[in-house]
Amino acid sequence: MNTHQRARLTRNVILMAVAGALLFVWVLPLIWAFVVSLKSEREVLAFPPSVFFEPEFGNYVDALFGDFSIVDSLLTSTILATATTVITIALAVPAAYAFARLRLPGKRSLGFYTLATQMVPPVGLVIPYFLILNRFGWLDTYHGMVIVYLTFSLPFAIWLMVAYMEDIPWEMEEAAFLDKASRLQTLWHIVIPQVRGGIAVTVIFIFLNAWNEFLFAVQLGGNTVRPVTVAMYNFVSVEQTLWAKLSAAALVAMLPVVIIGIAAQKQIVKGLTVGAVKGGGRR
Amino acid sequence: MSLSGGRSGGIHAGERRFALALTMPGIIVLLLTTTFPLLYLIWSSFQNINLAMPYMDGFTGVDNYIEMWGDARFWHAIKLTGIYTISSVTLQILIGLGLALLVMQIPAGQWVFRIVAILPIVLAPVVVGLFWRTLMLSPNFGLIDYVVQSLGFEQVNWLGAPTPALISVIVIHTWQWTPFAFLVLLASLASLPLDVYEAARIDRANALQRFWHITLPLLRPAIVIVVIIRAMISLAAFAAIFAATGGGPGTASEILNLYAFKTSFIELNFGYGSALAVSLLVITMVVSGILFYLRTARRKAAAV
Repeated sequence: MNTHQRARLTRNVILMAVAGALLFVWVLPLIWAFVVSLKSEREVLAFPPSVFFEPEFGNYVDALFGDFSIVDSLLTSTILATATTVITIALAVPAAYAFARLRLPGKRSLGFYTLATQMVPPVGLVIPYFLILNRFGWLDTYHGMVIVYLTFSLPFAIWLMVAYMEDIPWEMEEAAFLDKASRLQTLWHIVIPQVRGGIAVTVIFIFLNAWNEFLFAVQLGGNTVRPVTVAMYNFVSVEQTLWAKLSAAALVAMLPVVIIGIAAQKQIVKGLTVGAVKGGGRR
Repeated sequence: MSLSGGRSGGIHAGERRFALALTMPGIIVLLLTTTFPLLYLIWSSFQNINLAMPYMDGFTGVDNYIEMWGDARFWHAIKLTGIYTISSVTLQILIGLGLALLVMQIPAGQWVFRIVAILPIVLAPVVVGLFWRTLMLSPNFGLIDYVVQSLGFEQVNWLGAPTPALISVIVIHTWQWTPFAFLVLLASLASLPLDVYEAARIDRANALQRFWHITLPLLRPAIVIVVIIRAMISLAAFAAIFAATGGGPGTASEILNLYAFKTSFIELNFGYGSALAVSLLVITMVVSGILFYLRTARRKAAAV
């Protein structure tokens, strides 16, 4: 090993050490949440905080089946996020196709309008929605909530899908048109199969955002529609000190999005960048 | 996104009709779900709507806005919104860029960083706020409190004292969203053309010169986009602050967003809350307008 190689090795080791240390600090809150979730409530209050203790899984059992069960909220979140995703995709994919590929009258203004709706701060919507849904008697209902969730999912989905639609080649559509395939058949059989990847990324983003939504849910939901985010918040405001149970319940509540995040890590980063390059992206 | 796409050739009336038929359902839903409530918000900002005193309700013209102009809590909230947005976006860019440059240099294990960076991003902001409020920052039991004390510093009441509370909510936001800047900038770095670097190396440019004259200009579009996206999100940030401090203590971390929310849903003064929300809407539009203008202006300047 000559000096040059040795210098490079030293440099790499130092870089890895620095990067590793930063990584550890960054992820520490999550590691700590996991550690606390394995403690008893008495152990949580030990100071200095204990690192070595007898781990127990009782908190997880409680989070699922005990007095603090979040199973109902998990179900609510699943229904809300799924319904929002399905309706959004059904509306966004055809619209994005027209924006990206077809002669659409008023394309510029419609595109700008869609982008502008994406900029609306949620607090500007939760106030009127409270009054409107209250008048219709739609507070704390699934349909009311899904309507509200469309406000952030639909503009984002249209813009993300436009970016993916623009990337597919023209040739197959041209061929289909020559074959006198109807326009709808072309969209369904030729275009959509080519943007499956883009649809998958869009689905992931809508689902994550709907699952994690809190502002609308806490104010426009209630006893019937109480997704996991609100359940977590109520947990702390009511049971101030049950941190071990909170940690376990929160980790269970976040498990679906964490699994999706890790499994679809590449696609999410691509979606962030597509959105970033083309101008969309919002959480 | 270019909106000028479309096929060359004759006029296709059928295509236009088809395109409209595909777009209209989405546009109509947007009109009904977004534009209509926004108009309702603007209308109610000219009303007195107080669920605690319904007998006072009615049209009041610009009274809410006049009240806002003289409302010290409103100006305080504007100032906090500015501090919160500017500092958290700056920190996200600086740390995110630094991390991306660092991780680009390491010979192996970049994937670990990509996986870990996804975690804060996918977590619900309300859960992040709750974790920090309890496990990290709580006096006597929180991890940070323990670290601060073991390092021999005085105990800080992170969420209970005004300035530490503001710093805490900025740190929480930065913790959650720096990975976004990191991942986008890492992807941009990875896609930079290598030959430019080779040329610079031959020209004997040192590392700092290469960064300043090559990497940074090439990254600028990505940085600008991250700034735009993150600024919009910071202006609209709610759940993490709401969960961590609720805007407190007092109004120490009450950005405009939270002030509008609390006025409406805690004081039940929907008219004034609407006016505050309209002001946030206007600020968001102005800021995004300026940022987009700077972006296109720079692009045009680069094209000349």
